[in-house]
Amino acid sequence: MSYLELVNLNKRFKDEVVFDDVSLKINKGEFFVVFGPSGSGKTVLLRLLSGIMTQDSGQILMDGKNIDSLDPNERDISMAFQNFALYPHMDAFQNIASPLIAQKKEESEIKKRVLEVAELLKIDHVLTHKPKELSNGQKQRTSLARSLVVRPSVVLLDDPLRNVDAKIRYEMRLELPKVLKKFNTTVLYVTQDYKEAMALGERVGVLANTKFTDVAHPTQVYKKPSNITSAKLFGDPTINILRAENISADSISNVSASRIKISSNHSQLINHTNCFIGIRPEDIFVSNHDEADSIKVELRAKTPLNLRTVYLFRIEEGVEVLASVSEDESMLLDDSKEYYIKIDKKNVNYFDSEQRLIF
Amino acid sequence: MAKLTINNLNKIFDVKLGNNVHAVKDFNLVLEHGEILALLGSSGCGKTTTLRMVAGFETPTSGEIKCNDSDLIVLPPAKRNVAMAFEGYALYPPLTVKDNISFGLMREKLSSAEIEKKTTEISDLLEIKDILHRYPSTVSGGQAQRVSLARALVRTSDILLLDEPMSQLEPQLRAVLRARVKDYIQHNKKTTVFVTHDQTEAIALADKIAVMEGGELQQLASPYDIRTKPKNVFVASFIGEPPMNMLNAQFSFDDNKVNFHIKNEKNETAFKISYDKNNIDESKIANLSNNQKLVVGIRPQKINFDTSSSNHDANIQLTSNHWLGDQIHLGFELNGINIIGVADRNFEVKDGLNVNFTSGSINLFDSNSEKVIFNGF
Repeated sequence: MSYLELVNLNKRFKDEVVFDDVSLKINKGEFFVVFGPSGSGKTVLLRLLSGIMTQDSGQILMDGKNIDSLDPNERDISMAFQNFALYPHMDAFQNIASPLIAQKKEESEIKKRVLEVAELLKIDHVLTHKPKELSNGQKQRTSLARSLVVRPSVVLLDDPLRNVDAKIRYEMRLELPKVLKKFNTTVLYVTQDYKEAMALGERVGVLANTKFTDVAHPTQVYKKPSNITSAKLFGDPTINILRAENISADSISNVSASRIKISSNHSQLINHTNCFIGIRPEDIFVSNHDEADSIKVELRAKTPLNLRTVYLFRIEEGVEVLASVSEDESMLLDDSKEYYIKIDKKNVNYFDSEQRLIF
Repeated sequence: MAKLTINNLNKIFDVKLGNNVHAVKDFNLVLEHGEILALLGSSGCGKTTTLRMVAGFETPTSGEIKCNDSDLIVLPPAKRNVAMAFEGYALYPPLTVKDNISFGLMREKLSSAEIEKKTTEISDLLEIKDILHRYPSTVSGGQAQRVSLARALVRTSDILLLDEPMSQLEPQLRAVLRARVKDYIQHNKKTTVFVTHDQTEAIALADKIAVMEGGELQQLASPYDIRTKPKNVFVASFIGEPPMNMLNAQFSFDDNKVNFHIKNEKNETAFKISYDKNNIDESKIANLSNNQKLVVGIRPQKINFDTSSSNHDANIQLTSNHWLGDQIHLGFELNGINIIGVADRNFEVKDGLNVNFTSGSINLFDSNSEKVIFNGF
């Protein structure tokens, strides 16, 4: 049952098209993540929803009713910001209470509600502190509490974990969905961090080039992105994209990209003579031994990450791939020896010459 | 050949009369020729001030900075033979991208053929070939940062200094450029100091990492040692993603076992991590006394999950299960203590998981001094 709905939304600034006929349905109580690179229109979308900005055409529906004519304060939508936007002269309690005061709620009701939300977000012990006395994590929680205290049907969260350190980010990734479920709020969460999108989203909408290119469960978007642009937005390192040629004969397609060769009996490939293959770095097996189906590569650089080690290999002049290997596996590899790679073929994505996913 | 030595370096800023800020305290460092050092810390830790003193833009209050055997402090920036990429890029607006890159090379009096060769090589490496004829005002932030990096990398210099060199790069390019830049610096044996707040970048690029906080060097070590052998609570919790689980604990031992009683906020024992004395190096706990207060650090990747083992520390219910493509983050709660673990991307997550803390390693810290007691049995 869709609760928040965008219908054929269009928005442009002079010559620049921000949204081209965008439609989207978000369910009641859903945690929906809007994910896209900077400049993809995420903030514009939040402004349209909150009513600060108006679309050129199209409709925004809430619970089936058009809300386009409602002012921002008449919409049952609240928002928390990346930079917290707390009032510096008010303590945490007053900051959280401010939207209720604006609604002229009774004092006892205000107190009850502020305490309730502060307890849930674990800031009840710092309610008398001014923003400058709060840690970044507490500021973020205060800002969230302020957006939730009015019990909005829809809450918009603009990259709320961007300015907090890793420890708080991980804590909030665990807590935030739980807290929001208690309020039964429909959440639209904006981020440019793919890990956050995957961790938090019940569904993710990938916003790129004026449209939602993918709207699906995070695992689905990661494994089967609708096009190369979407594919590249996920993963660290991101997916390796190689130009490939395909010669099909007797229902077998022989795809070759540089020295990587894959045979496939998928019928969808047959008409695509020119295509691209996408290989996730974790789907490349790295070895010091020449095994069946492996190809010899030249190691250019090795860059450890926290949990995995990334290898930059040259397959031939001008063709490189990044492979990522777990720390334990990388301990067994010897840089003084020759390197071979082997592709996990079942996870390879194929894209057509227009860069759209074949499968 | 360029070896960088820093001895007892101090910088005190006189903000207001009688209100000093001690930005860098007794900083010591030896960087061998061709080594890459990361100055890592959050804003205000003194990392950029240290870099600027090496470059010559700040004068140390006391201490020595030497390149090989010659004193750098007496030299003005232009005489120090250092190449620097600035956080704000500092590109020359009236020059094209290409001229920005080759400007320093012309001053080195290289032949035009050599300049062309070097410029082409570095622009291939940093993927700025397509914008060589554009002006700085017409390129994006990410592109401007790559130009600024290119300009510093091509220079022939004793020391390469990079201030947040990759902070604005497009996320998709980051991993590949990190690898190529590392390859380039290693290949050309450039002694390099770079400043970053991003631990991923520091670990990926550096031979040595200097973790700084409050103007003080917390630890100087290889990326591997920084991760596996943190010297104190600060370094342990600063490095790692997901961050290390830091648990307040109390120590106890009897004839057969040593126990770490993990405490909740009310100082009640939430659960216990116990080791059989026969399985550990007892010398590591020789100085611990019964009931001593400690901090137990457990890296998320050192927690083992499985469904079968009978030899486990606890049975858990997951509170979160985040599949991130190349790894899975699993959150769980043990009697009020939130813990995060990491499983392999192919791990099949099921109900009724067991966890094991003792099969991996734990890091132990004194809860008063916050200094390490040991890193792994």
